[in-house]
Amino acid sequence: MTRLLAVLGAMWRLGLAEAFAYRAAMLVWVLTTTFPLVSLTLWHSLAADGPIGGYSQAEFDAYFVAAFLVRQLTASWIVWDLSSSIRDGSLSTLLMRPVHPLLHHGMLNLTALPVRLLLAVPLGILVMLAVGGVEASFGWHLLAAPLAVALAWLLQLSVQICVASLAFWVTSSAALFDVWLGLYMVLSGYAMPTSLFPWFAGVVRCLPFHAAMGFPTELVCGRLTAHEVAWGFALQGVWLVVFAALASWLWRRGLRVYGAVGA
Amino acid sequence: MRQVLRIVGAQLRMSVLAALQYRLGFWTEGVLGILWSVLGVVPLLVAASHRGFVEGWNAWELVVLTGCFTCVLGLFGALLQPALVASMNHIRLGTLDYLLLRPADALVLCLVSNFAPWRLVEILGGLVLIVVGMVKLGQVPTIGALVSALIVGLAGVAALYAFGVLILCASFRAIRLQNLTFFMEALLDFGRWPIQVFRGPLRAFFTFVVPLAVMITYPAEALIGRLAPGTVALSVATSAALLLVARLLWARCLAGYTSASS
Repeated sequence: MTRLLAVLGAMWRLGLAEAFAYRAAMLVWVLTTTFPLVSLTLWHSLAADGPIGGYSQAEFDAYFVAAFLVRQLTASWIVWDLSSSIRDGSLSTLLMRPVHPLLHHGMLNLTALPVRLLLAVPLGILVMLAVGGVEASFGWHLLAAPLAVALAWLLQLSVQICVASLAFWVTSSAALFDVWLGLYMVLSGYAMPTSLFPWFAGVVRCLPFHAAMGFPTELVCGRLTAHEVAWGFALQGVWLVVFAALASWLWRRGLRVYGAVGA
Repeated sequence: MRQVLRIVGAQLRMSVLAALQYRLGFWTEGVLGILWSVLGVVPLLVAASHRGFVEGWNAWELVVLTGCFTCVLGLFGALLQPALVASMNHIRLGTLDYLLLRPADALVLCLVSNFAPWRLVEILGGLVLIVVGMVKLGQVPTIGALVSALIVGLAGVAALYAFGVLILCASFRAIRLQNLTFFMEALLDFGRWPIQVFRGPLRAFFTFVVPLAVMITYPAEALIGRLAPGTVALSVATSAALLLVARLLWARCLAGYTSASS
């Protein structure tokens, strides 16, 4: 147990050092995930004539800044790293180590979050100042937010491991992840609050996309009742169990057919 | 000029031959690209369903706009982005030397160094969106409208290339910024909305600095038939100025290039 903690600590320091070393590249990555701010411009201008679907102008601003920050905190890129390391055989080196390869990749993704947040928060504050302040409420929901964000991160990670594990069988598994990303963009609350959808909003809000993005965002903004919060956590839990189970099954089946370069 | 066209043709042929070997790319790059761009119209349609109009654009006009956006994104993904990524790799690895030694303009060689033909499928998708939108609007664009749409469209593509060259120049300075082209793609996302959505400095920025208006909104407006002739002239002037700036900056950056070994 102490050995595991020592290993985790070492990996944490390694990842943090790496993230800080490439901070400029990290800043550009942060800037590539600014689609909520793109959306902000649209809805901000539309809501000038009055609220839309329960969102006033200032509430839209708050929602999209929160969505931007939640996106930063739930970011991972394990699907690209893992699928390329499966394809080019560099996974073999990782398998030799006395640490699980997924733990290695997961830790590297986790350590980037503080740096990402350091870069993203000033941008968020800048946007808030530019739009002239947002409407936010402080309360018990902010205590529940970290848990929701953590679950959303784990959910994203599990989905990415699922897709990356397909690289054991097909060569372009990372391209398949674009399907997830495309749907995520529209259905998760990343481009617009999912409650604005017409009659099918109820269905959209049950999908894993919403659990990974829209739910934590709405929770941070304080838009949910206690009942809705409980329901949101339950959905997050269910989807996490589903995808984590699928990921571990795919990973173990995949390792059996893994024929690395030179293996 | 003939030499430039021959180089472009030769590189295009090679890229197409390479792409034909990976036929799965038709699905993963082309079809997914269409899906991706078309999904982008969803927020606009939802907005239009709540309000009826988005800054004076009705739902089918927004479909035409998304068609224009899809075309620009396809052009970017097929022609410009792969070339930029390849050139940045040359700069980072120092293999730009081999390119500089060739008896042709270095910038042309950089801008044709790689293509991703499958993403041209997106342009077809964009054209379909434009046609569907126009048919639903019950409008047939006049010859004049088509010509002015073509002119602003070309001016927009020129501006896109100018911006690409600027990004390339930046990578001389900061070689770790390989992901700058992704940033460029993210910036293009602002082009999903009509330019009227933006106010003040942001609108000026997207009209003159990164002229998304010239690339996407103006061609759509021209097709619908509400673009003023003065705007066409202004767009051409903006693009020409940007091209000039890009060319001058490229010359400066190239002079400062020290290769990997020296």
